[in-house]
Amino acid sequence: MENFSLSRCELIRLNRDTFIVTFNEKIDFEPTQFIMIETETSIVRKPFGLGRWNDRLAIGVQVIGPGTAYIVRQEKLNAHGPCGKGFVPPKGRGAMIATLACLPMAFDLQERYDCDVFIGSVDEPWIEVPFPIVVGDEAFLKMLQSLNGYDWFLVIGSDQMEKIVYDALKDKAEVFVSFNEYMACGIGACRGCAKVTKHGLKHLCIDGPVLRGEEVWS
Amino acid sequence: MELRPPIVIASGVGGMGEYLKLIDPRYIGAYTLKTITFKPRLGNPPPRLIATERYLINSIGLENVGVEKFIEELENGLYEELFRKVKVIFSFAGEDFEEYLKVAERMVPHQDRFVAFECNFSCPNVDFNPLSDTSQLKKMLIELRKKLDVFLIAKLGIEGAFIEQLAELVEECGWNGVTIINTIRALHIDGETLIKGGISGPILKPIALRAVYEVRNRTNLYIIASGGIMDETDAQHFFEVGANAVSIGTALYRDPTIVERIAKRFL
Ligand SMILES: Cc1cc2nc3c(=O)[nH]c(=O)nc-3n(C[C@H](O)[C@H](O)[C@H](O)COP(=O)(O)OP(=O)(O)OC[C@H]3O[C@@H](n4cnc5c(N)ncnc54)[C@H](O)[C@@H]3O)c2cc1C
Ligand SMILES: Cc1cc2nc3c(=O)[nH]c(=O)nc-3n(C[C@H](O)[C@H](O)[C@H](O)COP(=O)(O)O)c2cc1C
Ligand code: FES
Repeated sequence: MENFSLSRCELIRLNRDTFIVTFNEKIDFEPTQFIMIETETSIVRKPFGLGRWNDRLAIGVQVIGPGTAYIVRQEKLNAHGPCGKGFVPPKGRGAMIATLACLPMAFDLQERYDCDVFIGSVDEPWIEVPFPIVVGDEAFLKMLQSLNGYDWFLVIGSDQMEKIVYDALKDKAEVFVSFNEYMACGIGACRGCAKVTKHGLKHLCIDGPVLRGEEVWS
Repeated sequence: MELRPPIVIASGVGGMGEYLKLIDPRYIGAYTLKTITFKPRLGNPPPRLIATERYLINSIGLENVGVEKFIEELENGLYEELFRKVKVIFSFAGEDFEEYLKVAERMVPHQDRFVAFECNFSCPNVDFNPLSDTSQLKKMLIELRKKLDVFLIAKLGIEGAFIEQLAELVEECGWNGVTIINTIRALHIDGETLIKGGISGPILKPIALRAVYEVRNRTNLYIIASGGIMDETDAQHFFEVGANAVSIGTALYRDPTIVERIAKRFL
């Protein structure tokens, strides 16, 4: 865990609102760990999942408000991390289901664990993506139905998308979910990211961000 | 109490020492732990946070393990590294007057480990407001003073009574210091979600500054200023109106390295 500054190497536009930012620096991290990035638009740093792209450290950013808009404009960013627990998949064949903003995370996870990756998106991406991608809600649901023969799934996206995936896949295999509770410190100090689970209160920034879906939703 | 540098990590914001991962301890005058209550508290249901560029609203609700478990952790050495690296302030509260006394009683055998005890009378995220009943408060201040042989600090807010009058009472009862102020009750609307909580960050500074100014003019207490201290200039302003130390809270979430920068200016 460190404070560091990151200098942008490349900004790759994936579609209307989603970008990959690659950095010149190197950081050791585990899959699904994240960094807390400072913005001028909020008093708290904001979490972004770590990944790789074009052999570089990278994050994917979906612009949804002033902080994410700020991050894709900047050449230099202040951050700390890596935060959270690295995701270690159980034995067997696995698949990650994610949104476009998670491409760098997915790329890293696939390299490390040789899992399959499926991307769901609202729009067509503007660049070629090295994973199967489906566009639109209907195609996404159909894709979920077709996923068979896996031992585990990891889902990362919005709250709503994660619940849909969990409900569709929970009877097929173990479903792990990266939860999105609001974070202020990212290191277990503020107690802001508490999630009520079957096994008591968990703090997503230190106990997560990935939890078993059934711990929270069953 | 002599703090070098005169910089305190605010209770709750710094958790139970986690910021030692991101701040060089040489720049921390004292590290206040999250408030411990008599019984364990789960805290409030999520969502517990919302932030803008001017403020943070938190609705944590004093989540903590309770004094018995805390003592067990203390005895098992969980905080040894923290004690080795920095001076530590113990923060405590109760769900009624009786519970404040019970926590103090349990902590008597451990009091020497701490540079001070801070009594949190002003959390806006719990139902009990001890500052609104000054006669009971006075009784408790006297009782706590009798029980504890430590540097005793009252953490006061601006809700309940005029803060300078409360501070005078604190001084009259033989206490050593005050932390001024805490977060203030506030509400944020985010779509369909209402977040009720305590507000902190830059928006608090003028209110906290006035409170420190008034208390300094009426008492000789050691004053730890808390509320919206985000940089060196904010800290300077609080020292100008009579603070003995400044407490860094929400600013840690924007940039933990601010502690080092403020400390270098005031070492
Ligand atoms: C562990 C974790 C990893 C994440 N990784 C990524 C990622 O790789 N790529 C990506 O695009 N997004 C990621 N996010 C979401 C990202 O942090 C938010 O989209 C971003 O903070 C929005 O900020 P904003 O100022 O643009 O929007 P705002 O208008 O401020 O907020 C829009 C919404 O974003 C969420 N949000 C805002 N601030 C925070 C915060 N401090 N903590 C958590 N959620 C917040 C809330 O749901 C809020 O309603 C991650 C979130 C978490 C919890
Ligand atoms: C997330 C959070 C948790 C807090 N928890 C406590 C607490 O447990 N005890 C306490 O006395 N104050 C608590 N506070 C108040 C702070 O210690 C501080 O007094 C307040 O935030 C104002 O200072 P700031 O503007 O520098 O943050 C908390 C504040 C925040 C933001
Ligand atoms: S974000 Fe502060 S405890 Fe998790």
